[in-house]
Amino acid sequence: MKILVCIKQVPDMEGKFQIDADGIWYSEEDLAWRMNEYDGYAVEQAVRLREQVGAAADLTVLSIGPDRVREAMKKAMAMGCDRGVHIKDNDAFRKDPFEIASLIAAFAGGKGFDVIFTGMQSQDRGSGQVGVLLAEMLGIPAVTTIVHFEFADGTLQVKRELEGGTKSVVRMKTPALVTCQLGLNTPRYPTLPNILQARKKELLSLEPSDLAKTEARLTTEKMYFPEKKGGMVLEGEPDKLADQLLAILREKTLVLR
Amino acid sequence: MELTREIYWNVGHSVMVPMYAMAVLAVVVMLQGIFERIEIYRKGKRADRTDDLKGRIAVALKNAFSQRHVLRVRAPGIGHSLFFWGFLLLTLGTLLIFLQADLTDPVFGWKFLSGSFYKFYSLVLDIAGLVALIMLCGLSYRRYWVRPAGLESDLDDAIMHGLLFAILVTGFVIEGARMAVTELGAGNKLAVWSPVGLSVARQIAGMGEESLRALHKTTWWIHFFLTMAFFVALPRTKFRHILTITANYVFADHRRKGSLDTPDLEDEQVASYGASHLKDLTWKDILDSDACVECKRCQDRCPAWNTNKPLSPMKLIGDIREIAFEQPDAQLVETIGRDALWACTTCRACQEICPATVEHVNKIIEMRRHLVLMKGEFPGDEVMEAANHLEVNGNPLGMAFSSRGDWADGLSVTRMSDNADVDILYFVGCYASFDKRNIKVAKSFVQLCEAAGIKVGILGKEEKCCGEPVRKLGNEYLYQSLAVENIEVLKGYGVKRIVTACPHCFNTLDRDYRDLGFNIQVEHYVTYLQNLVRQGRLKLRPERFSCTYHDSCYVGRYNDIYLPPRELLHAAGAAIREMERNRQEGFCCGGGGGRVVADEKIGSRICETRAKMAADTGAGLLISNCPFCLTMFEDGIKGAALEGKLVPRDIAEILVERLEKQ
Repeated sequence: MKILVCIKQVPDMEGKFQIDADGIWYSEEDLAWRMNEYDGYAVEQAVRLREQVGAAADLTVLSIGPDRVREAMKKAMAMGCDRGVHIKDNDAFRKDPFEIASLIAAFAGGKGFDVIFTGMQSQDRGSGQVGVLLAEMLGIPAVTTIVHFEFADGTLQVKRELEGGTKSVVRMKTPALVTCQLGLNTPRYPTLPNILQARKKELLSLEPSDLAKTEARLTTEKMYFPEKKGGMVLEGEPDKLADQLLAILREKTLVLR
Repeated sequence: MELTREIYWNVGHSVMVPMYAMAVLAVVVMLQGIFERIEIYRKGKRADRTDDLKGRIAVALKNAFSQRHVLRVRAPGIGHSLFFWGFLLLTLGTLLIFLQADLTDPVFGWKFLSGSFYKFYSLVLDIAGLVALIMLCGLSYRRYWVRPAGLESDLDDAIMHGLLFAILVTGFVIEGARMAVTELGAGNKLAVWSPVGLSVARQIAGMGEESLRALHKTTWWIHFFLTMAFFVALPRTKFRHILTITANYVFADHRRKGSLDTPDLEDEQVASYGASHLKDLTWKDILDSDACVECKRCQDRCPAWNTNKPLSPMKLIGDIREIAFEQPDAQLVETIGRDALWACTTCRACQEICPATVEHVNKIIEMRRHLVLMKGEFPGDEVMEAANHLEVNGNPLGMAFSSRGDWADGLSVTRMSDNADVDILYFVGCYASFDKRNIKVAKSFVQLCEAAGIKVGILGKEEKCCGEPVRKLGNEYLYQSLAVENIEVLKGYGVKRIVTACPHCFNTLDRDYRDLGFNIQVEHYVTYLQNLVRQGRLKLRPERFSCTYHDSCYVGRYNDIYLPPRELLHAAGAAIREMERNRQEGFCCGGGGGRVVADEKIGSRICETRAKMAADTGAGLLISNCPFCLTMFEDGIKGAALEGKLVPRDIAEILVERLEKQ
């Protein structure tokens, strides 16, 4: 069984974000980088499937971006991915979801991946499109936002989370793609032997130009912080504060109706 | 009349042959038992504890004969020590008899047990025997009637108390019977020098000489066999502590308190880290387990045990002994239990009080290393999250690394990246950098330095967690990576002197980093400020106030710094009302051993327990010197509903309010 998990390295969301010089993305200055949260669930699930299948399975982790993304890939390999494919692209942040999906499709097409895992969205761009676009390009079914995953006899059974807390169960034959949501699992902490071993695993580096040339469908016009709208700070005695707060909630919101 | 007694009286010199034959046999059986145990110790891996063997032996003998570790707990300590000294004198006295009867007299014709020396000898031994007997009765009374909570008695204890009692009593019976026949006559000047023997003799004198002689002979043999039984039992019962504890003194850890091994994690020859099985412990760890007599002093002081958690340092050591001697293939973690291992705050109260100098804490950390490094396990998801935060942002709180120096904006503090010409580098630590409550402490410390005319620099966003919490939780890999980065930055700026207001940073930089090639001077702020006050550079205007003071484990027990913070508080005008558990006996806040980043899910909360102890002093003000303590107390005071009754503050906050106005 061949498994692919696609991950993105994103800034830690606690960082101090600033708009970059071109005004179309955030500046990378003073940001700490980590694996996209949802991709962490994807890697964990991929590793669990890899362990379930055993020796017959091979798990590839793929990431697009500058050299720093190899850190996130090493973590994925320390968690249990067998090999890495790095599509080296310093301008990845300028590419729209269609271009990103096209690059991955160009790599994955014809390689016979049975199951592909992605996060449900990235924490920075948050388009939520790359997974489904990739599935469409490869001509395989996709299920988004899964919170439970089972595999038996070539069939995947997953649980999705819908609006309002409703869940649905979906079954499909491999090959297939799933995008992973919070609640699917708790990503493991890599053991020291696995961290050391991960350093020796194969990490292939590819240029985007080797893969596909696609035109962007979308262009980012401008990125900016939303204007701060008048928040207010209440001060005074607790019982008066409570009355004030209650009045505001009654007047301006629906929570008490 | 010659002032002496006939040795081998009544039993005759002919007993020598069977006596020595049996004694040799008993000693052989004893040695066999000792060697069997040594074989078990050898199952452990290597530990370098044999340097300066002469010095080590000298210290061990001093510790053993002075009983100084045993005496740390007064009543039972005095009981044990007096018994020990009494029994020791009896043993030496008996050896003198052998020496004269079987060596100096037959070979050189020299009898030294006579005259004034014999009177002195008789009196000393009589008193020694009586004291030993009374102490033994007292100790038995404590063990079997008073039954202090946690003191468990098994067959070993019964054998030991019974055997020692019988040896002492039969000794006096022998003496009494002999004296009744030989020394009760009028004009005997010797009898008064054996007052205990004399009163026994008077009690039994009416039996008549024949019966007395029969009694003497029988009891003599019983006494002899009991003594032989003692030798045989020595390695086979807790009597072994006479040997194992003395050996433990010899092989004590001579490194600075709190030192941990720093393994080379890149060594490809090493397949496994931490302790999972007996073979991963050192021979000293196994000897430790054999030296424990279950006096439960550690358990009495353990903050985890005292808040209903499944960790007792005593039981943990007992589990290791059980594994070593009964089930050598067992997995340590499974036998001891994960919850017990994770409950430890590494407060060192167990180790500091242990009369056998057992090293509890490092064993726990070695087992935690196994859990984290080899299995990826943590005490909870929140701890794994803290480790992830450390990897990404260099602090366990998940705050942006780039905002680490923001607290100092507007203060007279320079970033080393702007200007490295400073008097001290203040290694701020994570809590004082990011936690609102502790930022006040950092600001106070900086103000104090400013008032003393000290130029303070910080690393700002270049500083990372020192790595202490994760190291104590077993994540040696993450610790080493954080440490290496900090060391590189500090060396890069050519820093000469580091001061930290966190005991955990202090211990880690000043001791643990040394293993990684770090040699910059490091000081904790209580000693640093104490010197500034003594030199007159920091001028305080004392105002009377009442407070209680909490010794943080890593300043107190780990570094024996008890007086400097108290001196500072006195200089500020404090009347300190000490808690019952203070200094070496201080009770942990619950934040050590990495527990500060872990949820306390089992039992009651340690911080609440300590807050109640502080509130009981009636002082209303709880002063400490550690960001973890302060954080735990803020929590504990809320949890124990002591708000308004007790206010936790850091010593720097108190001092800054009493700065003499310029």
